Amino acid sequence: MKHFRKLSVPYFIWCIIFILIPLVLIILYAFTNGGNDVKTLNFTLDNFARIFDETYIKVFAKSLLLGVLTTAICFVMGYPLAYIISKQDDSIQDMLIMAVTIPTWINMVIRTYAWINLLSDNGIINGLLGLLGIDPVTMMYTNFSVVLGLVCNLVPFMIIPIHTSLRKMDPSLTEAAMDLGADPVQTFIRVIFKLSMPGVINGIIMVFLMAISSFVIPRLLGGGQFVLIGNLIEQQFVSVGDWNFGSAISTILAVLILIAMRLMKKMDASPMDEA
Amino acid sequence: MKKKSSVLSKIYIILCFAFFYLPIIVTVIFSFNSSKSLSKFTGFSLRWYAALIQNNEMMSAVYVSVTIAILATVFSTFLGTITAIGLSRQRKVLKNAILTMNDVPILNPDIVTAIGWMLLFSSLGFNKGYLTMLLAHIGFSTPFVITSVYPKVRSLDPNLANAAMDLGATPYQALTKVIIPMIQPGIFAGALLAFTMSFDDFVISYFVTGNGVKNISIVVYNMTKRINPTINALSAIVVLLIILVLIGMRISRKTGAGEKVRGGKLVAVIIAAALVLVMLGGRAGISGTTSKRELRVYNAGEYVDPELLTEFEEEFDCKVIYETFESNEMLYTKILAGDTYDILIPSDYMIERLIDEDYLQPVDWSLISNADAINPDVLDRDYDPGNVYSVPYFWGSVGILYDTTVVDEEDLADGWDLLMNKKYAGNLYMYDSERDSFMIALKALGYSMNTADPDEIHEAYEWLVRQGQTMDVVYAGDDVIDNMISGNKAIAVVYSGDGAYIMAENEDLEFFEPEQGTNIWCDAMVITKDCQNTDLAHEYIDFFLREDVAARNTVYIGYSTAVLSVYESMQEEDFAGISAFTPRVDYEKDEVFHNQSTAVKKMFSELWTMVKSK
Repeated sequence: MKHFRKLSVPYFIWCIIFILIPLVLIILYAFTNGGNDVKTLNFTLDNFARIFDETYIKVFAKSLLLGVLTTAICFVMGYPLAYIISKQDDSIQDMLIMAVTIPTWINMVIRTYAWINLLSDNGIINGLLGLLGIDPVTMMYTNFSVVLGLVCNLVPFMIIPIHTSLRKMDPSLTEAAMDLGADPVQTFIRVIFKLSMPGVINGIIMVFLMAISSFVIPRLLGGGQFVLIGNLIEQQFVSVGDWNFGSAISTILAVLILIAMRLMKKMDASPMDEA
Repeated sequence: MKKKSSVLSKIYIILCFAFFYLPIIVTVIFSFNSSKSLSKFTGFSLRWYAALIQNNEMMSAVYVSVTIAILATVFSTFLGTITAIGLSRQRKVLKNAILTMNDVPILNPDIVTAIGWMLLFSSLGFNKGYLTMLLAHIGFSTPFVITSVYPKVRSLDPNLANAAMDLGATPYQALTKVIIPMIQPGIFAGALLAFTMSFDDFVISYFVTGNGVKNISIVVYNMTKRINPTINALSAIVVLLIILVLIGMRISRKTGAGEKVRGGKLVAVIIAAALVLVMLGGRAGISGTTSKRELRVYNAGEYVDPELLTEFEEEFDCKVIYETFESNEMLYTKILAGDTYDILIPSDYMIERLIDEDYLQPVDWSLISNADAINPDVLDRDYDPGNVYSVPYFWGSVGILYDTTVVDEEDLADGWDLLMNKKYAGNLYMYDSERDSFMIALKALGYSMNTADPDEIHEAYEWLVRQGQTMDVVYAGDDVIDNMISGNKAIAVVYSGDGAYIMAENEDLEFFEPEQGTNIWCDAMVITKDCQNTDLAHEYIDFFLREDVAARNTVYIGYSTAVLSVYESMQEEDFAGISAFTPRVDYEKDEVFHNQSTAVKKMFSELWTMVKSK
């Protein structure tokens, strides 16, 4: 059993240098108020107290809501697609997964400008509606445009992990379930869906995290009034230069997410994980 | 039954892909646009493809993006895969420690990771550039590989490898012949995610790079003021290339046998190609050192005619390492982290701050032979009295751009209060910057834009809240430029230089500066304390004050130049009839921004967040 154990050692060292040390720095900033200079440390909890202002609570709530909504839509849209793809021939599967990913290789700003172009009041979609005699619909700078932009950008991160866990699933498992009298719906829920849970959880976590910390898409498609946690943190680090407060916000965010991830992973406590 | 469901699933696939590719199709169409707009198609042309090929900055960015993405994918896939395999056999404590740390880069917003690594590399004394960017990309890609591969490893029967070894396989054979093939889909997915994350990353790359090494995203983000279809042309080519590669792979797979060998070969070919590219790039001098004199310039994005840089290099037999920033605050953050440059080109209030914090050295005016060419109107301003440290580059004001076909001429008398006129509710863009928005409110109320009086600032805050609630305002960033060119709304607050650029593209627009007073800004060239070649730095400054150079630079950028003769002649030539090119001077109510204390800055940012989230 001990074979291959050493294989994870290099990354452990890497983690300490590239993850642990910067993390300690951020936490240090969060609990001090010496400005950007680490030498003048001054322990304080003020940075955390500030977050409980109504304004920031609102920002948190809005981000979480938007994150949940985006993740839900990505899941509802992505799962069937991943499932359909996993039923194709092997080589076609690779092609389709590549095809899902390729749009994300085009720069995000450029893709978002394309959406502005499609959605604005005198944009392409309204132009087409006009030809059909329908009055222009305001789509830009709404929740709709922001969620649409986020979903289009993030859905590949839902599809890829789900597809990975659906792929190469032993078909005899489904057959066995059917033979034992399960109807297709039962087979799907009890066998297929359950076995794809690791992928589903990975997808949900990735999409949710990227959605709540995104700031380019909300800013371009929602306008500056779309203040989300991502913007707030960026603003503190760059334009205000208040690294202490920025660190405090991201520490809280990280703790919230870690709790959520623990809960999600509990749902996936598979019996095979006994090592 | 079976037939029906497969038709349904085909329709579903088609619908989904239509949604994914809609923005890509639009991007490709606009790469053939004859005008600069990304949203108004005026005619077919190939000019942006020509521009792309001539754009050295973009071409070297393509090189950096592609090679970094390939190398980071290869390294992180390798590292992530062996780690995931090792983890399944690891002791519980260590395993949990690694898995928890592994989650951190995924769950931290990019900016936090970026600042952390920037500080790390600076404190370790790394020379920032290609290598630091590659390390960072491996750093944030590996966690995605591990999260993709580890579940697959976990679902393997642990006895498989043991069985193989019992049957005489060496551990290495057990690994490559048994384990790896079983977890291959996970590895494939991880590699795909790693490549995707790396190829489109901006924030982390920006903060960990240096010495002029830029990827595509950095170039695009810093050109947001002058965004144009060159980048669409690039995207179109990328799409085409990817499709060709995919078709090629499909053909080779159909004709050849032995898929696994082929897969291994493919990886080897990709790695070899990447290495060759890296070496060629080093030869071409992207990161290589030369015996020539070097000058490190840090300027705002799209704020110089690149041909002029090349001419400067040839004339003075030197190498310019040119980097760009998106905002003054970005510049400050990089300087604070210890990045060194010779010449910076920030704005007034940032220059004041850099002087106060002792980052700059005085300009030796005896070395500036073209000093007399500078417009006296932009000299001796409050941010640097007597121009001890700074040489003006471009300058302008902040004003209101309006659509003459929509806005009544007489409403303009309201000045900034035009932005409160309900007639235009839902039809205006504010500028998404707390400093500029508070400037407007303070001026509308008759106060100084540099006030630190909490009562006045609060009154301004209420003005902005009232505006936000009654006017249905959109707070836009640099996207306002493209939006106004396309005529999406009738009114926008803009910098005069951007106003001039927009007016040149959309004839319905006019620009005015309210009588309540506005912000007069100036961007100037300064020399840092760290400057390693002060002679060359002065030569650079002097070069950009030359009449012919300033003229070409002005035509390229479109802002009001500090060189008086050029400024005057341009009003008759390239910028005739464009009022935004000639900002107001010598008006008593106009002011220059001063550097704010941290306390005031915090107050502004807090109130601004409240204004926007009301």
